[in-house]
Amino acid sequence: MTEYVIIGDGISGSSAAETLREEDPDANITIITDEGEPLYNRILIKEHAKGKLPEAPISIHDEDWYAEREIELSLNTHVTTIDSEEKIVRIHEGEDIPYDKLLIATGGTPTQLPVPNSDAEGIHHFWTFQDARAIRESAEAADDAVVVGAGLLGIDFAAVCGAQGVEGKYLMRGDRWWRYALSADGAEIMHNGMRDVGVEPVFDSGVDHFETDDDGQVAAAVDPNGERYECDFAGVAIGLTFNTEFLYGTDLEMENGIVVDEYMETNLEDVYAAGDITRFYDVLLGEQAQNGSWGSAKEQGRVAATNMAADAQSEEFQWVSSYSITHFDFPFLSFGHPTLGDEHAERRYSDTEWRRVAFKDGKIVGGVLIGDLSPQSTFKKLMRQQRDVADQAELLLEQSVDMDKLAPAQEQ
Amino acid sequence: MATSETIDRSPTLRRVESVPPDATVRHIDQLEEPTLAWFLETLESGATPTVDAPGLEDGEIIVFTACYRFELS
Repeated sequence: MTEYVIIGDGISGSSAAETLREEDPDANITIITDEGEPLYNRILIKEHAKGKLPEAPISIHDEDWYAEREIELSLNTHVTTIDSEEKIVRIHEGEDIPYDKLLIATGGTPTQLPVPNSDAEGIHHFWTFQDARAIRESAEAADDAVVVGAGLLGIDFAAVCGAQGVEGKYLMRGDRWWRYALSADGAEIMHNGMRDVGVEPVFDSGVDHFETDDDGQVAAAVDPNGERYECDFAGVAIGLTFNTEFLYGTDLEMENGIVVDEYMETNLEDVYAAGDITRFYDVLLGEQAQNGSWGSAKEQGRVAATNMAADAQSEEFQWVSSYSITHFDFPFLSFGHPTLGDEHAERRYSDTEWRRVAFKDGKIVGGVLIGDLSPQSTFKKLMRQQRDVADQAELLLEQSVDMDKLAPAQEQ
Repeated sequence: MATSETIDRSPTLRRVESVPPDATVRHIDQLEEPTLAWFLETLESGATPTVDAPGLEDGEIIVFTACYRFELS
């Protein structure tokens, strides 16, 4: 009987466990997590912090879900190291856990801002359900807040401010939000969305240090220009640090994440990885890549489990990811790898509509849609087909994209 | 017969202002590609869809720029 061990009970670990049970009904499956609650819906915790969703719908699995599938769930359990020679997972207390095949799906932890007082009371990071509960509590009692981190995670804090009636100052280091993927035209739409909910973007700013009161509670953020912004709480989202400390003593190949191939295999025999933590080989992009979206993590878990159960390179991971921002009156959708590629095309259509398509070697590798999401399906299809369409960018920027107008693939 | 039941029940999306604790809720980033396409097209057109919604359950709430309840009327 095969012993499968999964470290991490996020969507990738849980998806893998479900797949393993389907593929190998007689196997022993163990999930180890240092969190204190089973799988919940990480995408929806921001809606809870905004005050829009109660807790109950955010939980996905209760402990019965695991019991019914005869999956051993070990909560509040810290893995200290793995021994890939002996095929053992060592935990902080209790007996070692042997494995035949191991999946690492431990994700990351928000990176702390490296400035004085960044660990003060009232400075929040946004990753777990517990984080969301604490942010909601702070926001409900706050008048002013500061947000740091001009990316896809930071904007959730801005949305919490808007939804909870908190006056927010969004401190950004550069001249716009998500400057790696948006031009000034695209970013301006997002800035206006922030302003509409009561959050003011502050450019060429950031945080030099935080000030605290006598109780150690954050009271203000001071930016590198010396400007002081009073706040009742601060939200920091400057990126993730991957949870790989327990792997430092191993020979696992890491490069800002765990390196895996398209089958989710690491360089160590019978050790796989899935989810945010991977630097995977993206077959559509033709190079190693990373992705933090829910769908990608879920699919990586499924593919890893399929190959683990087959004991072979049975299925490769091929996925076009989506990440949406739904906080404003207009929608925003990023797909694929919009910050990569060697050229791009973009157009603004109105005060709330903008589009960018990124190309690599003539093929679409990602993009951003603001306001009008209708072409997303077509663009993803072209990505999967790996169609050479960069020379037809004008057609891709028409308000309504008609695939029939594109030159047939076989004639290229 | 199952087929006639399906035909008789028209799928709609209705905006809701609150979400009950016992609701099934998903964010649009959790929808499979055909479901996402259906959802966006239905909202965009504002009309009763002519094709069945793939992968949605009656009563399920989808979080988009607002919350939308999927109903089989």
